[in-house]
Amino acid sequence: MNGFIEVDYAQNWKHSERIAGDVFLLSRDKTEGRIVCTLSDGLGSGVKANVLANLTATMGQKFTTSRMDIVDSARVIMKTLPTCRERKISYSTFTMVDINSSGVAKIVEYDNPPYMLIRNGKVLKIEKTVIPLENRFPGRTEQLYYSEVNLQNEDRLIFFSDGVSQSGMGTAKLPLGWRTPFIEEFVTAEINKDRNISARDLSRKITSRALLNDIQKAKDDITCAVVYPRKPRKLLLVSGPPIDPENDQHLLEKYEAFTGKKIICGGTTAGIIAEGLNTEIETDLRERTADIPPLSRMEGADLVTEGILTLSKTAEMLETKDSWVAMQTNAVRRLICMLMNTDEVHFLVGTKINEAHQDPSIPVELGLRRTIIHRIKTILESKYLKQTFLEYI
Amino acid sequence: MEKISIEICTGTTCYVMGASDLLTLEEHLRPPLSSSVKISGSTCLGICRDKRFKPPFVRVAGKLIAQASVRKVLKAVEAEYSGGSYAYDE
Repeated sequence: MNGFIEVDYAQNWKHSERIAGDVFLLSRDKTEGRIVCTLSDGLGSGVKANVLANLTATMGQKFTTSRMDIVDSARVIMKTLPTCRERKISYSTFTMVDINSSGVAKIVEYDNPPYMLIRNGKVLKIEKTVIPLENRFPGRTEQLYYSEVNLQNEDRLIFFSDGVSQSGMGTAKLPLGWRTPFIEEFVTAEINKDRNISARDLSRKITSRALLNDIQKAKDDITCAVVYPRKPRKLLLVSGPPIDPENDQHLLEKYEAFTGKKIICGGTTAGIIAEGLNTEIETDLRERTADIPPLSRMEGADLVTEGILTLSKTAEMLETKDSWVAMQTNAVRRLICMLMNTDEVHFLVGTKINEAHQDPSIPVELGLRRTIIHRIKTILESKYLKQTFLEYI
Repeated sequence: MEKISIEICTGTTCYVMGASDLLTLEEHLRPPLSSSVKISGSTCLGICRDKRFKPPFVRVAGKLIAQASVRKVLKAVEAEYSGGSYAYDE
């Protein structure tokens, strides 16, 4: 496997709860190309479950990233976790996944539904090692499942909380819940329908279906995570004219040579590129709001927008996960959707300061392009685990 | 008759200085003017670098209106339509 690994998750809270009892944590070590993620389901729901799940997931995440053996980490967690006195069960369950740069995934599971691996549109059977745990409760054996998988491009590794597998339980259609064979059937059908379906979209499809099984009132927290290794999808975002006009040519060459989606944010920048490529820019006045200028079209570019206002709003919307979903279609929403469907974002940023922006009579604060781009870059990396590259010209 | 072109700058400076209001221009046009104009946007007319003029900028039939407002643009369009004169900035 070589390329990019997209990891995303979707979640619905138990009906009437205001906080999730399932917690999904994810970290990506840039230098090593390693990904660690943990899904934990706390007993019950609401705040108590959230605290327990957070405790478990944070421990798992910390131990695993700090190079502790994944099975040992799981053991320590098991020993640390409080147990329910009445029900004699642990307060939380977990699935921990540790993927190295060559795509080998080590997976430890404790009491969560078994994960699924889909390859070439089919479910792959996985050999798992059973690791028995010290007998904490007389008459009941507890065990961890450990497995190693060599991930290949276009695989989907899917894991979820029991809110997914038990959805619909008690209904006429799914009296015993949405059991593994049904979920497998659903997932393979979705992948075969759209071979390039992103981790983001697939996890959402699964949780929406689980919610539908529960007749739109989730009986438990529903969480699903998907790991999707693939060739990286690349995007170039050009913004700002070069400080030295002699570098306009350099900007043009970079723009032309790039393979992948291309976005231009900024009127002057778009002008430079259009002139260099001898093409026209056409502004589409339909999609605009009071604070976001309209977008434009140019042959060869996938999106052309205004600069600072659009980028500032984009940074603001990106800070809250999914906040743009309810937004009306405009330049910002289009930009965010393109960013979300990309793995590698290349920023090519001109550093020339627009003097007109420095006019004290301007009624709103216009940030500096470099600062805003840097903010977007940081959010994309830390919150959405995108790979980013930044070049100033 | 050839339509009168109205080009509205939607660059950052113009947008915050009032171009967002100017984009509602179409709603203020009544017949026969509404059918005699062609409104388009521009990513940046490039005039903000010229210290003599203040944004937002609109070009009516190729001529510049600085500190443009819906009222100013309407007056210019009326003048263009009836063959009258309007004091353009450039």
